[in-house]
Amino acid sequence: MTALSDPIEVSPPRDAERFRRWLRGYGLLSPALAVMFAMLALPIAALVLLSFWTQNGFELDRSLTVENYAQLVRLKDEPTIWFGIPFYFNYPVPAILMIKSVIMSLTATIAVIALAYPMAYFLAFRVHKHKALWIIMITIPFWTSYLLRVFAWKVVLGFNGAINSGLKAIGVIDQPLEFLLYNPGAVVITLAHSWVAFAILPIYVSLEKIDRSLLEAASDLGDSKLKRFFRITLPLSAPGTVAASLLVFIPTVGDYVTPTLVGGPGGTMIGNLVQELFLKQNNAPLGAAVAITMMLIIALIVAIFLWAIGYRRIRARRM
Amino acid sequence: MHRIKFIDQMAQGKLSRRKMLQSASAFGVGALMLPRPSAAAEVLTCLEWGGYDSADYFQAYVDKYGAQPNFSIFAGEEDALAKVLAGFAADVMHPCNYSVSRFVNAGVAKEIDTSRLSHWNDIFPALQIAEGVVWEGKTVMAPADWGNSSLAYRPDLLPPEFAENPTWSIFYDEEYTGRVAMTDNEMAIIIGAMVGGMSYDEAYKLEGAALEAAAKEWGTKAVNVSKFLWTDSSEVQQAMASGEIVAAYAWNDLIANLRNEGVPVAFAKPKEGMFTWFCGLTLLNTGKADEQAAYDFIDAWLSPETGKALIEGSGYGHANLKSFEIADAAAIEAMGITDPVAMMADTIVFKTPTDAVQEGFNKVWGDTKALKY
Repeated sequence: MTALSDPIEVSPPRDAERFRRWLRGYGLLSPALAVMFAMLALPIAALVLLSFWTQNGFELDRSLTVENYAQLVRLKDEPTIWFGIPFYFNYPVPAILMIKSVIMSLTATIAVIALAYPMAYFLAFRVHKHKALWIIMITIPFWTSYLLRVFAWKVVLGFNGAINSGLKAIGVIDQPLEFLLYNPGAVVITLAHSWVAFAILPIYVSLEKIDRSLLEAASDLGDSKLKRFFRITLPLSAPGTVAASLLVFIPTVGDYVTPTLVGGPGGTMIGNLVQELFLKQNNAPLGAAVAITMMLIIALIVAIFLWAIGYRRIRARRM
Repeated sequence: MHRIKFIDQMAQGKLSRRKMLQSASAFGVGALMLPRPSAAAEVLTCLEWGGYDSADYFQAYVDKYGAQPNFSIFAGEEDALAKVLAGFAADVMHPCNYSVSRFVNAGVAKEIDTSRLSHWNDIFPALQIAEGVVWEGKTVMAPADWGNSSLAYRPDLLPPEFAENPTWSIFYDEEYTGRVAMTDNEMAIIIGAMVGGMSYDEAYKLEGAALEAAAKEWGTKAVNVSKFLWTDSSEVQQAMASGEIVAAYAWNDLIANLRNEGVPVAFAKPKEGMFTWFCGLTLLNTGKADEQAAYDFIDAWLSPETGKALIEGSGYGHANLKSFEIADAAAIEAMGITDPVAMMADTIVFKTPTDAVQEGFNKVWGDTKALKY
C-alpha cells in the first residue's frame, strides 16, 4: 500500500501510461489532423501569404506588402452612395458587398430558424412512432445536389415558372410577377430552403434532450403553455438553436452559387466579388485579401453574437 | 501466374520487362513504370465557348482519334485567360480577333505553322492576314467562325416605331426596366458611350476618369435596366422565347435558334451600328497533348463540313470559302451577307484594346455590377 502511494515509485509507470494514452489519442486523431492540415491549414496559410503579394498585369509581385489591405480601407473625400448610406472608401465595393452579404445571410438565417424550429419541435414532442423515418423524410430533398436545388428555385420563381403559371391559371394575375427572380429576395428564399435541414437536426437534438418532468413541473406550478415554452423549452433548446444559426449563417455569407444563379445583377454577394477578383479581374492577391478580411469579419460577428446571448451561461446550464 | 512463382522469378531476375509491366499495369502502377508515354495518350484539352463542344464542329478530329477532346467551357475570354494563368493545362483556346492579343501578351499563345493546316489555303484571303489572326507579325489564330453582335428583339412585343429605327438606347431606357438583357460584359459601357454620342473607336479605349464617368452613367443604367446580365446564350434564348425579355444583346445563333422554334425575332441593325467579330483557334503552350492532335483539331474546325454545320445550325459565317459551296442555299440566304469582307465594311469590327485598357474595363465593370441593389 505504501509502495503504491509513494510518488517516486509510481510516477514513472504512470507517466509512461499517460504518454501511451496521449500517443493513442493522437494516433486516432492523426488521419483527421493530417487531412485538416493538408486541406485547411496549408491552403489558408497560402491564402494569407498570397494576400500580402500584389498583382502587376500578368506578373505576380512577390515582395511582401499590405497594399491589398490598404486598398480596402483607403478613404476618399467624395462618398459613394449606396442605399442612402455614404461610403467614404476609395474602393467601396468590398465594404458594401460585405454589409449586403451579412444582411442577406442574417435574413436567411432567421428564416431558416423560423422554419426549422417548429418542425424540430413537432418531431421532438408530437412524433412518437417512426421517428427515424420522419428524420429521413426530412432529409430526402437533400439527396439531390445543391446546384440542382438552386436551379429548381430558378424554375419555381421564373417568369414562366411554377408560381407565375399557377397564379395565372387561377386568375389572380394577368401578367407574370417580375419581382420573384433575380433579386436579393430570391437569393434569401433559396438559401433558406437549401439550409433548413441542417438546422432541424441540431434543434431537434436539443429539444429531444429536455427532461419532460421539467415541463410537467412548470405546468403543475401554474405556468400557461406559452409561458412554459418561453421559460423552459426555449432556454433549454438554445444551444441547439445557436449551433443551427451558426451552421447556417457562416457558410451562407460567402455563398457563391446561389447568387450567381438566382441573384441577377442586384443579388451579388461577397463570394461573387472574390470569384470575380480571382478570375475575371486576374487579381488573386486582392481576392485573397478580401477573402481573409471576410473570414475575420465573420469570426468577429460570431464572437459578438455568442457574447451577446451569453453562450457560456447557456452551456453551463446544460451541463 | 502463381504468386510465389512471380516473386521467385522477379527475385531471380528472370521476369521479362514486358511481363512485369503487364502485371504492374493490372494494379494501375504501369503508367508510373513506363517510359514517358507516347504523347498521343494525352487527351487534347480545349477551352471553348458553350455550344461549340458539339462534335458537328470537329467531326474530322473525332473520326481520326475516335473520341472527343476534353472541353472546359468559358463564358468570356478573360475567364479563360485567368484559368490558364492559374495553371489550367489547355492545348487549344477559342479566342476572337479582339481578345487574342491578351493570350499573346500573357505569354501563353504559340505561333501557328499554317503549312500544317490542310484547309488553310481555302480561308478567305482577307481573314488570313486580318489583325487578330496575325499579331505582331505572327499567325496566332486560325480564323474559323465569324458573325455579329447586335440587338435581337421581339417585333411582336415592341412598338412598330422601334422596328423602324432600332437603337441600342433601349438598354439604358428606364421604361424598359426588367424587359431587356445586356451581356455581362464591358460592352454595356462601350455601347452606352456610343448611345451618348461617342464613336466606337473612342469608346473601346476609354480609360481612367473618362471610363469611370462612362461606367457611372451608362454601366449603372445598363445594370439597373437589364433583367439579368447574360453569360450563357441558352439563358437569354429561353428568356426571349418566353417573352420575359423583349430585347437582348445577342449573336446570330439566338436568331437562328429562336426562328427554328417559330418564335418571331429580329436581328436589328441599330442606328449606332452593329458589330462583327471573327474568332478562331489559338495554340496554347500550356498543353500536355501532342501538338499534332491540336493541329488536327484546328484543321477539323477549318473544314468546309464544319462550316456547313455552323452556317446551317447557328447562322454564323465560316472562314472557309468552300463552306458556302456545300451549305444549304436557304441557310446562306438567311444569313444575309456571306462575305466577311463585305460584312466588315458594312459594320463595326471589334478592336483590340491594350492590356491596360482591358484590365481597366474588367475592374470598372465588376465594380459597377457589385453596386446594384
